[in-house]
Amino acid sequence: VGHPGTCRVLSIQSHVVRGYVGNKSALFPLQVLGFEVDSINSVQFSNHTGYAHWKGQVLTAEELNVLYEGIKLNKVNHYDYILTGYSRDTSFLEMVVDIIQELKKANPSLVYVCDPVMGDHGAMYVPEILLPVYRDKVVPLADILTPNQFEAELLTGRKINTQEDPLSALQVMDLLHKMGPETVVLTSTDLLSKHGDKFLVALGSQKLTKPDGTNSNQKICMDIPKVDAVFVGTGDLFAAMLLAWTHLHPKDLKTACEKTVSVMHHVIHRTITYANDVAGPGKRPSPAQLELRMVQSKADIENPSVVVEAKVL
Amino acid sequence: PIPAPAMECRVLSIQSHVVRGYVGNKSASFPLQVLGFEVDSINSVQFSNHTGYSHWKGQVLTADELHVLYEGIKLNNVHHYDYVLTGYTRDTSFLEMVVDIVQELKRANPNLVYVCDPVLGDHGSMYVPQNLYPVYKNKVVPVADIITPNQFEAELLTGKTISTEKDAVEVMDLLHAMGPDTVVITSSDLPPRLGDRFLVSLGSQRHVRPDGSRTTQRVRIEVPKVDAVFVGTGDLFAAMLLAWTHHYPNDLKTACEKTFSVMHHVIQRTISYAHDLAGPGRRPSPPQLELRMVQSKADIEDPAIVTEATVIS
Repeated sequence: VGHPGTCRVLSIQSHVVRGYVGNKSALFPLQVLGFEVDSINSVQFSNHTGYAHWKGQVLTAEELNVLYEGIKLNKVNHYDYILTGYSRDTSFLEMVVDIIQELKKANPSLVYVCDPVMGDHGAMYVPEILLPVYRDKVVPLADILTPNQFEAELLTGRKINTQEDPLSALQVMDLLHKMGPETVVLTSTDLLSKHGDKFLVALGSQKLTKPDGTNSNQKICMDIPKVDAVFVGTGDLFAAMLLAWTHLHPKDLKTACEKTVSVMHHVIHRTITYANDVAGPGKRPSPAQLELRMVQSKADIENPSVVVEAKVL
Repeated sequence: PIPAPAMECRVLSIQSHVVRGYVGNKSASFPLQVLGFEVDSINSVQFSNHTGYSHWKGQVLTADELHVLYEGIKLNNVHHYDYVLTGYTRDTSFLEMVVDIVQELKRANPNLVYVCDPVLGDHGSMYVPQNLYPVYKNKVVPVADIITPNQFEAELLTGKTISTEKDAVEVMDLLHAMGPDTVVITSSDLPPRLGDRFLVSLGSQRHVRPDGSRTTQRVRIEVPKVDAVFVGTGDLFAAMLLAWTHHYPNDLKTACEKTFSVMHHVIQRTISYAHDLAGPGRRPSPPQLELRMVQSKADIEDPAIVTEATVIS
């Protein structure tokens, strides 16, 4: 596996004392792959909000700015990547936008990897007022975007017809490209997989400028085995690993996605096996038991064997 | 090859978080996770960077907020830990809350091992508020199982000065009598046998034999000095001593050799890199001296032994 050298990521996400969501989900795998990761914790909670109970504190937009100021005063506000995910607060999100704009001025080659977390399966699970902030301010700055189908539809105002071939999904991805990001991955859709209903369809699209100055567009499609469990933190792991594998395969979205989706598969499979073992036969595992088996998956994170192939469209 | 079963060992680490760099939880988490430990982490502060830089900014966690986070863990009935790890603290009420939490966790798991770096000062002066001293002496050290004081802290806690190796052994025995079965004096001014480019560290571990009698293993390690000020090395040391005493619970000699060797590899890599960055004849800056943690993954996983510990009577 190629070494990223001194590649520095700024990740602004949640911290949980126990478990793997937000920065807890992103840091270890990125560090294991050799990335330097600076992390601003947007909240500190005991655990993710899928447990019976959760407690903790949130960072305000002002406190976020103070932390950034500290970095800036020391003249170390130089990053190759920024990574953001779940956010609940518009003023916080707007401060994130200001910081990214400043960091892009400091390094015009900076790549902003954005998971525009707003909802899933037809319903929003963040306040509605975040949508215009994502649509008008965040997504225009993003270079890599990882929406699910619902979030892609919200951002573009266009529904994806899941009974058709992926044409309408590809059109939505083109609309997202026009809004900003050169790389868009639809992490999950309701499109019908030709492998049957135990699979979901993910799509990716990357616009590249060839050495001769002309544009090209690689589009890929993946059929991913569904899992019968609710995981938390998988989207955060996905975005972090897409950052890593697009870095290591910058003009090859097919390979980057195959590696990313394969890592997800190995981690999820290990997790579900463990969770079912711990829960016992016939019992549904609890949120605590379903925490990602992250440290146990180190070898798969470092060098994922490819188990899902991407088809170039 | 059949993979070994995952080690199910859960650590609760209550330390600082810095956005950039490697101190506190940033210094402890990655190496412990790389060694397969599950690490839950409570961030006692969130600062932009450590306080050795020209500037630093951020927020602190109050004793109440710490309690709230612990309550979340407890309400979900997941307050079961094999280890607790603590380091630098500036606040007596915070430290007292840590003691309450450790005591409760020990009731939940009587086999819990509390690894405590009693950070009070160095080279003859305190660098935390003086009112922390009685809290460490009377409340913290009595519940600790492994402590990693430097010479100054060992002298302060016992009220006895160290001029000879015999003094050091007596001080470690006094510390055992206060609570911990394992004591490592991480650095001292004792004259090294290998010359003045080395410093002397000592360790002592009390065991109860199967027949009920007590025995103490004492070791002496001579460690190469480095001409640089590092921050976060004490935190890495305590975390790695946790790991290697876990793997060698009755063999302090080996646990110390592995721990001091990891330190050596990380420090050497860091100092080479820092000098490269700074340029010939220039003293590296604090940002340049940040530990090369992710680059040292292989050494962390399997440290080549470069320092030998001598068993002393």
